[in-house]
Formats: sequence, structure tokens, C-alpha cells
Amino acid sequence: MWNRMHIPGWLLIALILGSLVPTVDVHAGDLSPAITVGTQEVGLTVGYMIPQRLTVEHKTNQQGPVFMPSWMMTITDPVGNGWYRGQVSIGAEVVYIQFNEPVLTHGIGFTPKIKYTFVAWDRIRPYVEFAGGPFWTDLAGEIPEESVEFNFVLSAGFGVSWFITPQMSLNAGYRFQHISNAGIQYPNIGLNASLPFGGFSFYF
Amino acid sequence: MTHHLFRWTLFGLIGMTTTTLGCGRWIDVIPSSTLQQESVTRSISTDERVPLVMDGFRMMQNGAPQNPSAEIERRILNTVQETRLFSTLVPLGNNVATLGEKAVTARITFDETIEPHSGEAAWKGFVIGASMFLLSPAIELNYDYATKATLELERWDGQVKRYEAQSAGTAHYNLFGASPIMISELKGQVAEACLTELMDQLVRDTPFYMASSSPLPDSPILTVTVKSRTPLRSPASLSAIPVSTSPAP
Repeated sequence: MWNRMHIPGWLLIALILGSLVPTVDVHAGDLSPAITVGTQEVGLTVGYMIPQRLTVEHKTNQQGPVFMPSWMMTITDPVGNGWYRGQVSIGAEVVYIQFNEPVLTHGIGFTPKIKYTFVAWDRIRPYVEFAGGPFWTDLAGEIPEESVEFNFVLSAGFGVSWFITPQMSLNAGYRFQHISNAGIQYPNIGLNASLPFGGFSFYF
Repeated sequence: MTHHLFRWTLFGLIGMTTTTLGCGRWIDVIPSSTLQQESVTRSISTDERVPLVMDGFRMMQNGAPQNPSAEIERRILNTVQETRLFSTLVPLGNNVATLGEKAVTARITFDETIEPHSGEAAWKGFVIGASMFLLSPAIELNYDYATKATLELERWDGQVKRYEAQSAGTAHYNLFGASPIMISELKGQVAEACLTELMDQLVRDTPFYMASSSPLPDSPILTVTVKSRTPLRSPASLSAIPVSTSPAP
């Protein structure tokens, strides 16, 4: 059943991002987002996994689209006074990867996440983020780098949010992603990937 | 199969318990406006009441001057109006009552102190996330807010009285209980307690503001000393703003 669901990643990403364009409120005005303690954010991020074979032991050329619905909550008011003035938010996201290469397989994980958003530039808000949590994939066993289906996924990256209204932002950025099983079973060489992404968030 | 079902039921129960217990929040306010024994009451006949004219309104936040908030000004005026001590209230910038009429002018300073404990919240948030949110019911986050309101009232004959009240509060919450509404509730309750105390002081002085308490000055023309504001050295220096309105010779 799963193996028959081969959806071109670029098509899904284009459809999701393209569907947002008509909803953009161009005359949103100069209202700045008012994000305070307790403001919640739900969003969807989509990206495409590009393999990073960092050693000669990394053979697999894993590729595929990645979907990451997420929830976050702002837990601080803006701190600092310079360019680094920003807010901390924590939350979680579900990571779904459809590995198109080397063989059509899937992976799903749940990762708590922490994000620091720079607020000094009003509606353009860069951020850095870190996430990590358990990850299950049936790619394990099909490749030399992974031997067990239960793994962990860690990702760290940066991005920028453009607030098109005070309650909605478009996001784009880059993440580095690592998948391995923390030594539960060997071999455990792990998979590394670059993950350019785009998405949107709603704040309430 | 049974083992599988049991495991997922257990995960579900833990998740539900965590999110339910993690939604808690409560607010402590000192002094509490709801715990006051009895409000101060005085009687005044309607023809003894005079208008109150807003002459100045300053807001400070953590010691830094802010743009005056029309919302807070309206709230203060509403609170004054509810005392029924004055016949009418004239907001800042509106036409002043006709010269010669007895009126009381008001200058208000509203000083807010906000302590969101950002560093503590960031570390606790990291720990909560690292625990897969299982520790969210056990870890409490705090947000402190305090206000100090100063009301300076000048009677038509130039006599000035100064009132001051302050209150503070803390919102205690678990991660899933946080919301912007919670912060608004905290600020609302603290401001209410502060203004209630301020109005109690004002009502005790009811006889001072009665029209018959003092005649109009012989000459209805007043002089006002015009000068720029003295730079602030500290929030405490606000209390030293001179009032220099006096009857013309």
C-alpha cells in the first residue's frame, strides 16, 4: 500500500506553497505582529531532503520530500536590546519523510523543538531552531547505514519569517538533519542531509 | 496484540494527563481588590460637584517613558467617574471648562514594572521540551507585573493634593496554560487593585473637592509657568515635578 504512493515531492511542495498565494493580504498595512508570552503558532513546513555523505562510509543517496506540521508557543517577551533582541518559543513538530531514493520508503517522527526568533526587524524575523526526537523508518535494513527501524532525528537550522499579516507569516530556511539510532543496534553510521524548506505559520 | 493495545493506551493516558495537568494557571495580586473589607463612602450633593479636567498623563514602563495609552487613560477616567465625586470629566486635549468656573485639574503618572523572567522561562522551556513535555505539569512558569499610579489633583484655588497607590501580581502557569489573555488578565487585575486603592484615598478627601470648600480666587485669570520638562534621573524623581500655577496678583 505504502509503496504505491509515489507522489512527486516537487509537485506537492509547489501545490502547497502555490495555494497560499491567493490568500496573501497585500494591503495588510504596517501592523507589526504582536507576539507575546503565550502566543501560539501552528504551521506547515515542506522541504526536500538532499543527501550529505560526510564520510566514505556514507553510501546512500537518500532523497525525498519532507513534511513538518508544527505547533509552538512563545515563552518569553523580547529580550535584549540590540540586533539580537528576540523571543524564545518551544513546541513540537511531526516529521514525515517520503524517501524516493534509493528505494521508496517512509519515515515519521515526533520532535520537540526550540526556536529563537530575532524581532529587531519588525515584519522580517530571522530565527534559529533546534529539534530532536524519535523517528521510525522502514528505510532501515534497505541501506548499509541503518540497521533498525527505530531511530532518532536531530535537526538544526535557520530561517526567516516574513509576516504578511500580524497573524500569518511565510517562512523559508535551511536545516541540517541527522538520523541515527543512538547505538541501539549496529551498524549505525547514520544519515545526514541538507533540508532547504518553505512554509507558513499562523499565530494566535 | 493485547500488549500492543496496552502500550498505546498507556501512552495515550500519559499524553492526556500531561496536557490536562499542564494547562493550569492562577494569578496572585497584592493587594487584592476583591479582598477589601469595605469600600470608602462619602456623600456629596450634586450641586457641590465640580468638573475634573485632565491636564497631564504620563506612562512609564520599567523606568522608561512610553507613549500615553488612551485605553489606560479611559480606564482611569472611568474609575474616577464611578466614584461620582466630580460632575463631569474632561479627557486630555479636550476643551477646558470656561474660565472662572470651579474645576479640578488632574495629572496622572502610571508606572508599570514588567518582569517576565525570560531567562528562567527559556531554560525551563528547554527542559520541558527535552522531557517530551512530560514535565510540563511539574514545571511552573511565572510572569510578574506591578503598577504604581500617582494622581495629582489641583483645586481651582491652586491647592494641590497628591495620591499614590501601587499593586503587584504574578501569573503562575504551566506551559499549556499560557496565553496572551492570561497576561491581559494579570495586568487588568493589578491595575484594578491599584486604581481601587487610589480611589479610596480620593474619596476620603471628598470635602476638599466640594464647590463650597473654597471660593474662586478674586481674579479668575491664572498664570502658568511655562518650561521644558526636567530630564529624568530615575523613576523616583518623577515625584519632584513642580506645580507652578498661581493666581495672578
